[in-house]
Amino acid sequence: MAYLRQPEYVQYSCSCGSLKSISKIYFCRHCLSIRCGFCVCHEVDSYYCPNCLENLPTSEVRLKKNKCSNCFDCPCCLQTLSIRLGQSFSVSSQSKSEEESKPTTKKVYYLSCSLCRWSSRDAGIPDQTVATGSWKEQENPYSNRVNALINYYKILASFEKQQKERKKFHIKRSFLQFEKFGITSAMARKRSGRPPLTQAQNQTVTTPTPSVAEENVDESLSDLFTKSIDITRTTTIDQRLQHPELQADTIDKLRPQKKQFIIKRSQRCRTCEHNVSKPDYCSTSTKFKIQLAAYYHLPEVRIVTYEPLQFGKSSELLLKLSNPTQHQMQITFLSLETPVITTTKVQGVVEEINKERIQMGCDSPNLLPSAIRQTAVIEEVKPIIVVPNGEILLPNSSFTLPPKDEAAEYDELNVPQNFQDDPKVVVWRNSNKSVIRLHVLPDVTKSSGDMPETVIVGFVMQFSYINTIATLEHKTPQKLDLRVKLYLTLDNSSKIARTASMLK
Amino acid sequence: MSALKEYKGSRYIAEKQVLVIDVGHAYTKFGFVSEAAPRGIVRSEIKCPNTDTIRNIFSYKDQNDLYELLVEFLHNIFFKRIMISAKDIKVVNVESPLVTTEFRNILTKVLFRHFEVGAIMFLPTHLVTTCTLACQTILVLDVGYEEASVIPIYEGVPILKAWQALPLGAKAVHKTIMKAMQEILTEEECTEKLIEDIKVRTCFVTTMERSAKLLTDNPPTPPPNVKYFTKRSLEIPGTVRESAFEKLWERDLDNLSIPTMILDSIIKCPIDARKPLAENILLIGGTVMTTGFITRLKSELEHIVNSEPYSEKLTLRKFKFHTAPSKPNYTAWLGGAIFGIAADLPSRCLSKEAYLETNHVPDWVCLIDNRKDDGENIEY
Repeated sequence: MAYLRQPEYVQYSCSCGSLKSISKIYFCRHCLSIRCGFCVCHEVDSYYCPNCLENLPTSEVRLKKNKCSNCFDCPCCLQTLSIRLGQSFSVSSQSKSEEESKPTTKKVYYLSCSLCRWSSRDAGIPDQTVATGSWKEQENPYSNRVNALINYYKILASFEKQQKERKKFHIKRSFLQFEKFGITSAMARKRSGRPPLTQAQNQTVTTPTPSVAEENVDESLSDLFTKSIDITRTTTIDQRLQHPELQADTIDKLRPQKKQFIIKRSQRCRTCEHNVSKPDYCSTSTKFKIQLAAYYHLPEVRIVTYEPLQFGKSSELLLKLSNPTQHQMQITFLSLETPVITTTKVQGVVEEINKERIQMGCDSPNLLPSAIRQTAVIEEVKPIIVVPNGEILLPNSSFTLPPKDEAAEYDELNVPQNFQDDPKVVVWRNSNKSVIRLHVLPDVTKSSGDMPETVIVGFVMQFSYINTIATLEHKTPQKLDLRVKLYLTLDNSSKIARTASMLK
Repeated sequence: MSALKEYKGSRYIAEKQVLVIDVGHAYTKFGFVSEAAPRGIVRSEIKCPNTDTIRNIFSYKDQNDLYELLVEFLHNIFFKRIMISAKDIKVVNVESPLVTTEFRNILTKVLFRHFEVGAIMFLPTHLVTTCTLACQTILVLDVGYEEASVIPIYEGVPILKAWQALPLGAKAVHKTIMKAMQEILTEEECTEKLIEDIKVRTCFVTTMERSAKLLTDNPPTPPPNVKYFTKRSLEIPGTVRESAFEKLWERDLDNLSIPTMILDSIIKCPIDARKPLAENILLIGGTVMTTGFITRLKSELEHIVNSEPYSEKLTLRKFKFHTAPSKPNYTAWLGGAIFGIAADLPSRCLSKEAYLETNHVPDWVCLIDNRKDDGENIEY
């Protein structure tokens, strides 16, 4: 599967305008469009510790500040610390009085980094008698003061909230307010000798003691000019920022940090709110509950080989297409300018399908009806930045890819299917794959003089897709023609081009 | 009754975590409201998805470029660092009032359009740091990476007229070190990261007396050299260590430096406000954490105020400094985390609905939002 990570020679255009290889995109079966990491909504699914794989419910994770209680990171090199077992000789107070008793050995635990050799003993942290749970984190020295400030502002915020609510209340019955607090009523009260109506006093807020500015700034600088610094004893900025509360400046002040949890994410299509990817909750499992990767739904295109590209001369380009679905696929190549729309054939008449309508039709019982759902926030479609600098000569005829058959791969007596292929286009065929021949013509006008290093060509591929999701409108599988825009990057200096010339 | 109130208050906080983020030019601080320290401080840089190089988010070419950088950067913070679903949460954005409108608008756009956050509360850095001290009158000096800025706050109101800013921050310091280390470091070694490491681990701000002698014929004995290890071992001269921060105190062509910024700012304030401001100075930003910075600033201030032209204009001779309950590099963040409690109130936030309707971010420089006649709209 090494090709998944290689430079992206074949890029699919996502519905948001980003260009990505097929291994990085999703295909939402509900809106029938391509989605990618940029245009889906990411959600945190479950938390787990990357070291001990313990997973906890969200509420508990929040309480523990996203940190594992058992695993620690080395403050020095940020790797995971291991818990080591040591022995200590101790003389208990009781045995002191009885002189004949021997010192007893006790099991003790300390933390140690196997990478940089940092250990909790070096830092002067006492050994623990229990392996986990007893390691204390350093307290923030300012926490009391900050908590006092926070409480004060909490009270202020709730006051403001009350005031806002009271205001609303008054507006509703403004005529009563006039009676009660108006000038006339105040005068009347004064005349009758009653005390004026004061507004209900707010509860007094105990303001925290304001900080006092100091005139003396005590920094001892005297030895700064004479003392030499051991660079290995001073911490780097990364080590300091690992623990923002303390930001220790020397190595011996560093303390182990609890390991941060990491998360499993699920991805949701922003238009129809269906999941396109949902991992298994269990942290030890690498499987997915839902995985609508484009790899399982769109025909995959790979560059097999091509002739060295030359100006004014068309070069052969061989592409391998494979059909990952369980249904036969009809593939047609169209020019880059063709609009990317979804069509269906109803009794031989081509009909365009509005994507909005598909979504309306596919309200599944798991989701809120579309009328109640929040209106989706749609980002603007990014402009495609790639400018093709070559032309691709596409065949007019379409051809068929048979469905993927898992068993066929092991069956050596593979019966070749009879397809009425144009031998000029289809070069080779095997089960659900076939190699086709196209021609590329580098564009002279767009590049000045020299032959460019890479030639980018683009086209629109139309393929038939069977929508198996039963909807209210379509109970039976619906046959659709989907289109996807593809960009091929042909590297003129690459090896593939040279091998092609050798093949000739 | 009061117990009930408190219960109510804590319930509001427990409902949804409010993210506080302070995007700085060099480091971004992030964490949750009503916590005493940020969850993390990371470099404001990200691997660019198109070119696969590490880029600072402020190194953008155009708006689209910035949009993509911010999407990548915030995605990393949301899902790798702070681990929270971004959708419909509240965000407190602590920002300098001097941040460019372009950056501000794009950041808001990314948060609302890409991450679909529920509401954003904008807090100006200088003003919000007053929350960490429970004081109402403070002169805030923020020395960050890109620039140093001063905004005095009097009785809870920023005196914007008296703002001062100079490009004297960590960047200027790095340039000085880079120049001084030119002969020792090879060109490919001379990265900002290495320079920063040298600065943080070995350099300091020298005293005013020594600094005056540095450029004379009879300089004081430099501090000892420091052995430093990269892929090879090298020695950092004591002179480099001592003079790294001199740039911040030297007067530039306009006769300005960090101490004159403070004094100029005080001069621009009303006469009654001057003394309280000079006696309530708060230093924030990563650069002020350097050893000797505050001592030097104090002696410089006392020296300059006694010399022309300030000795005529100002009668004050005393300067006092506050210590915030935090490290200076995240004091502004802490202010956001404390004041962010008010993010519960819809009137203090910009909600997603309001933004999507108008596509406009309220800003103090914009006359649509900042009109004299209706005080309600003034954000701060």
